[in-house]
Amino acid sequence: MEDKKRYPELRRRLSPGWWTANRHYAMYMVREWTSLFVALYSLIFIYGLSLWATGSRTEFLNFLKNPAVVGFSLVALVFTMYHAVTWFYLLGAISPVKIGRSTTKPWQALVLNLLLLVIVSYLAIWLLVLR
Amino acid sequence: MKAETNKVARLHAILWGIFSLGGMIAAFLLPVLIYMTAIAYPFSLWPFNGTRDPSLLVTGHLLGALFIFVTIAGSLYHGIFRFQSALTEVGLLNYRRPLEAIGYFIIFAGIILLAYYLGTWYLNGNIR
Repeated sequence: MEDKKRYPELRRRLSPGWWTANRHYAMYMVREWTSLFVALYSLIFIYGLSLWATGSRTEFLNFLKNPAVVGFSLVALVFTMYHAVTWFYLLGAISPVKIGRSTTKPWQALVLNLLLLVIVSYLAIWLLVLR
Repeated sequence: MKAETNKVARLHAILWGIFSLGGMIAAFLLPVLIYMTAIAYPFSLWPFNGTRDPSLLVTGHLLGALFIFVTIAGSLYHGIFRFQSALTEVGLLNYRRPLEAIGYFIIFAGIILLAYYLGTWYLNGNIR
C-alpha cells in the first residue's frame, strides 16, 4: 500500500485483443513486434560468435551460410527496415524542427534519415571491408 | 520518500534513454550488418564478392569490433526492452515484473558474452 502511494502507476488495463480494433492500432502492434526480430538476430549473431570462440572461424562462417540462418536473417532485415522507416517517421513527428515560419513534417525527417542511412551504410562498408 | 521517487524516475529515464539510443543504432547500423552477413556473404555479392568474409568485420581491426559491439548490444537492448513492453500490452501486464527480469537477464547475459568474446580476441592480439 505504502509502495503504491509512493510511486503510483496510472496504466489503463487493456484487453489482449485491443489492437485489432482498427488499422492504426494493428500497425502499432506490428511495429512493436518487429523488435522481436531485431533481438533474435542479435542473439543469433552472438551465438555465431560463440561458435567461433569455442571452435573455429570456419564454424562461424558456415553458420552464417546455413540456409535457416540466412532465411531468418532476410526476414529480420525486412522487419529491421520497417523498424527504421517507422522510427525515422516517429523522430520527425515527436521533434519537428522550426525553420523560419515553417515547421518540418514527419515525411521530411523520414526522407532525410533514409538518405543518412544509405550514407552511413556505405561508410560502414567502406571503413570496415573495403579500406 | 521524494528522494527515492526521484531515484526511480531517474533510473527509468536512463533505461528509456538507452532504449532510444538502441533504437537509433538498430535503425542506422543493423540493416547494413544484416546485409553483409546474410546477403552479401552467403550470395558472394558486393563488398565480399567471394574473396573476403565477415570475420573481417570482427577481427579485421578495432573499429570493426567496436561496430559489432555497438550494433549488436544496442539492438539487443532495444529489441528485448520493446518486446517485453509489447507483451504487457497484449494481456500480460500482471507478469510485468517477471518479464522485465527475464528481459534484463537476456540483455545483460548477451552483452557480457559479446564483450567477453571481443575483449578476449582483442587482448590475445587477434583483433589487429
